[in-house]
Amino acid sequence: MAVIGDTLAARAPAAVFAAIGPGRQAGTERLFARRDMRRASTPRDASILLVAGDIPSEASEALARVHDQIPPPRATVQWQGEDPDRIVARVMETLKDLRVSATGEENRLPDAPPNEWKGIGPHGQGGKGMMGGTPYGRPMAMTGPDIRDGLQLDRYSARIGPFAPMLPPGLTLEVTLQGDVICDVSIDSPPFAQPADADAPDLCLARVLRLLGLDRAADRVLGGKRPGALWVQGAISRGLGRIDGTDMRDRVAAWRKGEAAPLGPFDLPRLLIGAEWSEAMLILASLPPSALIRAARAPEAA
Amino acid sequence: MTVLLLVLAVCATLLAGVVLAALLDRALPELAGTLSRQRIETEAPDRMNRDLAPAFYLALAAVGLSVVPFAPGLALIDSPVGVVIWGTCEALTIIVVFLHGWSPNAPFPLIGAYRYAAIGLPVMLPSMFVLIAAALPAESLSLVAIVDSQREVWNVLRQPLGLPLFLVVALTLTLRGPMDFADAADIAGGTSAEDSGAGRALWQVARLAMLVSVSAVAATVFLGGPLGPVLPGPVWLWLKTAALMAVLVWLGNRVARTTPSRMLTILWVVLLPLSCADLVISGVVAL
Repeated sequence: MAVIGDTLAARAPAAVFAAIGPGRQAGTERLFARRDMRRASTPRDASILLVAGDIPSEASEALARVHDQIPPPRATVQWQGEDPDRIVARVMETLKDLRVSATGEENRLPDAPPNEWKGIGPHGQGGKGMMGGTPYGRPMAMTGPDIRDGLQLDRYSARIGPFAPMLPPGLTLEVTLQGDVICDVSIDSPPFAQPADADAPDLCLARVLRLLGLDRAADRVLGGKRPGALWVQGAISRGLGRIDGTDMRDRVAAWRKGEAAPLGPFDLPRLLIGAEWSEAMLILASLPPSALIRAARAPEAA
Repeated sequence: MTVLLLVLAVCATLLAGVVLAALLDRALPELAGTLSRQRIETEAPDRMNRDLAPAFYLALAAVGLSVVPFAPGLALIDSPVGVVIWGTCEALTIIVVFLHGWSPNAPFPLIGAYRYAAIGLPVMLPSMFVLIAAALPAESLSLVAIVDSQREVWNVLRQPLGLPLFLVVALTLTLRGPMDFADAADIAGGTSAEDSGAGRALWQVARLAMLVSVSAVAATVFLGGPLGPVLPGPVWLWLKTAALMAVLVWLGNRVARTTPSRMLTILWVVLLPLSCADLVISGVVAL
């Protein structure tokens, strides 16, 4: 039985969590259209951490945290612009080594809360009653006015990024959620700079398709074929992510025809506030990386 | 002796079905790969529910399959209310998926859990309507009687709305493609986002087992189950189940998933009235 398991496991596509650095988005996304590579949607589902390019020092702690979330046995593979075939070969070799070694790499950060426990208030966490406060340095939900009807509803704040797979690489958002409605968002750090090749229509379309649950269609698009999927346009609500008179549906339609969908300047937080999480992720995927990077950097310049 | 054979048949069908489903999903090597990794814990998880959720999901698939007749008149649980037993399995699936998202104590799994609960309710209603509509010509809630009532014409022809609506239910119960709101890509795999190692593999196996059961129930209720010429009953059931599994996998891979709020509108405004119409028309025809 164990032998069958090992043989099968050896044939599995490599489950890789990708941490994408500046300039490496297009190359990495194309790498995962290959049959022998699978991009894990969470570090928990990976055994290899692929670090593409040079991760800026501000993001190195986040990278260490992602690394420690990968279940052992695990290993890191650095990709500094070698040929895709060579990097796939290296990933496969590393996987083979992992099957022999017991644990792989050790944790990079201590397995401890980010802050000390400080007992404040009746339940020790600070805040009011059993809500709010920052136990171990992490904010707990506290009620606030619901942005849709003004009633009181729990607000949960979290920082998401810079390697979250549904966000563009490098983008870190500080979001406040009520349920899955975004009631406040600020940009902690803008996406890493990417050259124009990340704006290629097939890459943009593939990103949207993956969010719509169509991984195989995305792979087909990156392979130069038609997506072969049903209800792609229909699944996107009219008016979602409307900028200068064009909405997400129009942009996806342009990408399907192989055309670029250039965008003027826009206010990113305003586009996201009030949207549900899934809508917000679709909106982000419907913005070409170059336009998104400009928009995310605009507040910094101001 | 018959009971023993039926227990064996249910277990073998589930086991072979899971392997077939994994092949259709091209997920068999991946499952083995997941198993070879260690399981890591989130901070302060609900350990009991984390461990029980996949086991319950698997158990619900097994109970659901045991009301399905493998030959005319022969089911492991030959209950006069087989449809109700299956309905219970459907409803409890929502609870199990919710617990799976609740237990890791992390934001994305919890968002997936609440989304699934919101989607699950309006999916269960059409499910009950189409199943009751199928029970009307049989004048019984027993799946054995429903199979008998299809000797002349299958329900898929008598009630053409039934099977398509039930396929939507099946996609929801198996967390698949357009109805996979629990484990979606925008929330990093949702209720499964914090799963690793054996726990993750077991959850995936339970999902595949549910695909087998829901396909077998659909084959029984709409495609005459074990009825068919020449070949023995169980073989017909297996063939029809496998065909429906392939259809569900195909739909899951090909149909886009919209946002949860939009899907909720579609479910309440379009699918629920359609299933009501299915029930009314079937009732009038059965009179």
